[in-house]
Amino acid sequence: MFKLNKKLLISISAAAALSLGLTACMDSATPTDTKNVTKASIDGGVMYPVVNGKTGPYQVNEKAHSGAIKFGRTPTKAEYEEWDSDVMADGTGLPEGEGSVEEGEEVYEAKCVMCHGDFGSGGGGYPSLSKGNAYELHETLTNQRIKPDTDGPVRVFGTYWPQASTLWWYIKDAMPHPMTDSLTDDEVYALVAYILNINEMEIDGQEVDDEYVLNREKFLKIKMPNRDGFEPKIDGPNGPENVRKYFSNPDNFGAQKVKPSERCMTNCQEKTAKVVYIKGAGISDFHPPLSEVRDLPKEKASGFNAAKAYEANCAMCHSADGMGAPVIGDKAAWAAVLTKGKDKVYSNGINGINGMPPKGGSSLSNTDFKSVVDYIVNKSK
Amino acid sequence: MKTTDNLIKEKIVDIKKSQQDIDSLQAKAKNSNVDRRDFLAKTAALSVTALAGTSLLASEHAGDPSILEPQSWGTKWGDPVTKNLYGMPSKYEHNVTRRYTKLLASGNFRASIAVTPIQESSGIITPNGLFFSRSHGGIAHIDPNEHRLMITGLVERPLVLTMKQLKRYPSVTRTHFIECPANGGQEWRGPQYNSLQFAKGFMSCAEWTGVYVKDILKDLGIKPEARWMLAEGGDSSKMGRTIPMEKVLDDAMIVWGQNGEALRPEQGYPIRLLVPGWEGNLCVKWLRRLDFASEPWYCKEETSKYTVLKPTGKAIQHFYANEVNSTVTSPSPEIDWTDLKDGDTVEIEGLAWSGMGTITGVDISFDGGKTYKEASLKGLVLPKCWTRWSYVHTYKKGEELLLTSRAMDDAGYIQPTIDQEILKVGVEAVYHRNAVETWKVEKDGKITHVEVRSQLDRKANGELVIEGKA
Repeated sequence: MFKLNKKLLISISAAAALSLGLTACMDSATPTDTKNVTKASIDGGVMYPVVNGKTGPYQVNEKAHSGAIKFGRTPTKAEYEEWDSDVMADGTGLPEGEGSVEEGEEVYEAKCVMCHGDFGSGGGGYPSLSKGNAYELHETLTNQRIKPDTDGPVRVFGTYWPQASTLWWYIKDAMPHPMTDSLTDDEVYALVAYILNINEMEIDGQEVDDEYVLNREKFLKIKMPNRDGFEPKIDGPNGPENVRKYFSNPDNFGAQKVKPSERCMTNCQEKTAKVVYIKGAGISDFHPPLSEVRDLPKEKASGFNAAKAYEANCAMCHSADGMGAPVIGDKAAWAAVLTKGKDKVYSNGINGINGMPPKGGSSLSNTDFKSVVDYIVNKSK
Repeated sequence: MKTTDNLIKEKIVDIKKSQQDIDSLQAKAKNSNVDRRDFLAKTAALSVTALAGTSLLASEHAGDPSILEPQSWGTKWGDPVTKNLYGMPSKYEHNVTRRYTKLLASGNFRASIAVTPIQESSGIITPNGLFFSRSHGGIAHIDPNEHRLMITGLVERPLVLTMKQLKRYPSVTRTHFIECPANGGQEWRGPQYNSLQFAKGFMSCAEWTGVYVKDILKDLGIKPEARWMLAEGGDSSKMGRTIPMEKVLDDAMIVWGQNGEALRPEQGYPIRLLVPGWEGNLCVKWLRRLDFASEPWYCKEETSKYTVLKPTGKAIQHFYANEVNSTVTSPSPEIDWTDLKDGDTVEIEGLAWSGMGTITGVDISFDGGKTYKEASLKGLVLPKCWTRWSYVHTYKKGEELLLTSRAMDDAGYIQPTIDQEILKVGVEAVYHRNAVETWKVEKDGKITHVEVRSQLDRKANGELVIEGKA
């Protein structure tokens, strides 16, 4: 435990604080500390340094935390590089490469549009990537929906994000959502170029038009419209101290401080305050529906999906010629099979026939299996 | 063997006899100068006899079949101990479950949340199966034998640890809540959910076991210029967040234990970062990498999201702690007071929590936050932890109430009114809403989620003001 002295933390580095902590480790139980157990912290809250063998209400085995302990090993260069994928605002970690808006659109249409929509419009629970011109829509960030007919702020990449590095890094590491880390660096440059394009942005005075080719050098010149839109300032040597100062003022973040003895006990609401009710049904799309009843769970109302079961268990043989099985959608073949009667078709399938193992080798129940047969028959009428 | 009816008749006779004895004693007391204390002692003794002998019967009807008729579980074998070697809740509890809404989900339910039924929670611990679940790329199922933690960047000696090696460091066990800072975040512009689970269930509380990050760092030689730590997950979303050194060297932990067992996959098995009191999103799940640098990272989930846009058009970034907060948990829209009778004594119960410190008190209002009375804290009161509180109330049938709770912490904060909070941060903040919450008790005992607030207006310079305020 290093000394939890605010000035100490400000004036010296965290590392020095740490090493100080190692030597002066449990000396923190000085009379001053005992008197003042809680101290201001970077988040505006309190800290609970170890005092007399306790942190807050918890007992501490001080010896267990007093010395350096070492397990593990040093990572190899290859290991480090494999996981070191972050891209920082100044370009640290950003590889060389290039990609055009045109190539980006191709990748987007192939791998992104199914979720993010045409031109990044979003929808279906997936984020929008653009709502139009980033510079114009940046002006909407002061919008507040305090009246029903007011428009809200537009918070998309172009209008809101402070750094372009975030986009490159995120696409490379976490997109496409179902198969991440699968794009080449050039594809990522191309996608970033495309997203800049649909946000109608420019780099170094040049419009990112359909012909634009983005590379590392140009990327580092991107100036996001909302670069200065965030507080407190976290960059540079004073970053952490700016944060501490910011959260030491409750007004900055909508908080209220009060001495317990002086807290409001009467007339604590504005005279203008009224009871506001949920509009209509509000949000009530809850799954499962709310219920406080104690009963036996209902028999699963067949969450069974015949089409999916077909794909998983049957399609490998019944979807293609040459496997010897009647092909789904082949009306003549299935009409011939059905001359035996539906029950015979069921039982043949359940018990297996010719090259087909019982239930096609699946573990479906008889009922579910029959509904898959029905599915195939219906598709073959 | 006596029939049930006969048994009941005999009991009634017993009771009637007791009552007659009491009546005659009372008559005697009136007619003679029997010492009052003697009378009270004798009646008390008779009452005890009556209670012990039978019970005070409500009617001469046959009674409750749940008592009168033998139940199958009372006469037949239960399961052998060899069944369910990992125990499951009673099947009758199937409605006590996490829930989700499509509004808060990506179409594939992988970047989504399922929330905790806090209307059913008791005490300050959330069972692992009910702990709220939020992921950005689905719930990863990691083989712990193949999982590594790598610590790199501005350290003299980078490190890679297996899970077995990580667990060799001195362990620390702490009870902390984890709260998504979007808890209540859909209700900045008015109430939306008539449900406690959805209005406040983006949080849970557990006893966590792991190691202090600072204990691992002691041997690694953090360089003087290191000001920030990146914590990154090993799941498909590679979720990352930047954390200042002060927190890293204070109480940040890497945890593998949750309520006495391994973390659930939904909580980041085999390990997650625990940043006590701070945004749940900072408690990176499936943790695989800690990197140290002099500049912050600008991760996606600390810029595009988890930032608080104010009416000035500026957004708060690195808004770490979940501020002091509370809610009434009983009654709730889900479990209301429709079964209460006039004059019933009922305990109003709730939760209070603060990511900035320890709860020091909770007040309760019956008029929507105009006037407050002091409630009592209950049970353990721990830093950055759910704290139970209660207030004993006599219910009047047909009375409408506006139940509002308001908590304070030892950092000196108190929950703001809705007006106080939105005047400062507006209604587009999404995150960190901690204004007081109100349940309306309707005449029939049903509970409705309401908000007590003023209509806002805007001055020419953009400043938010209360409409119509003199």
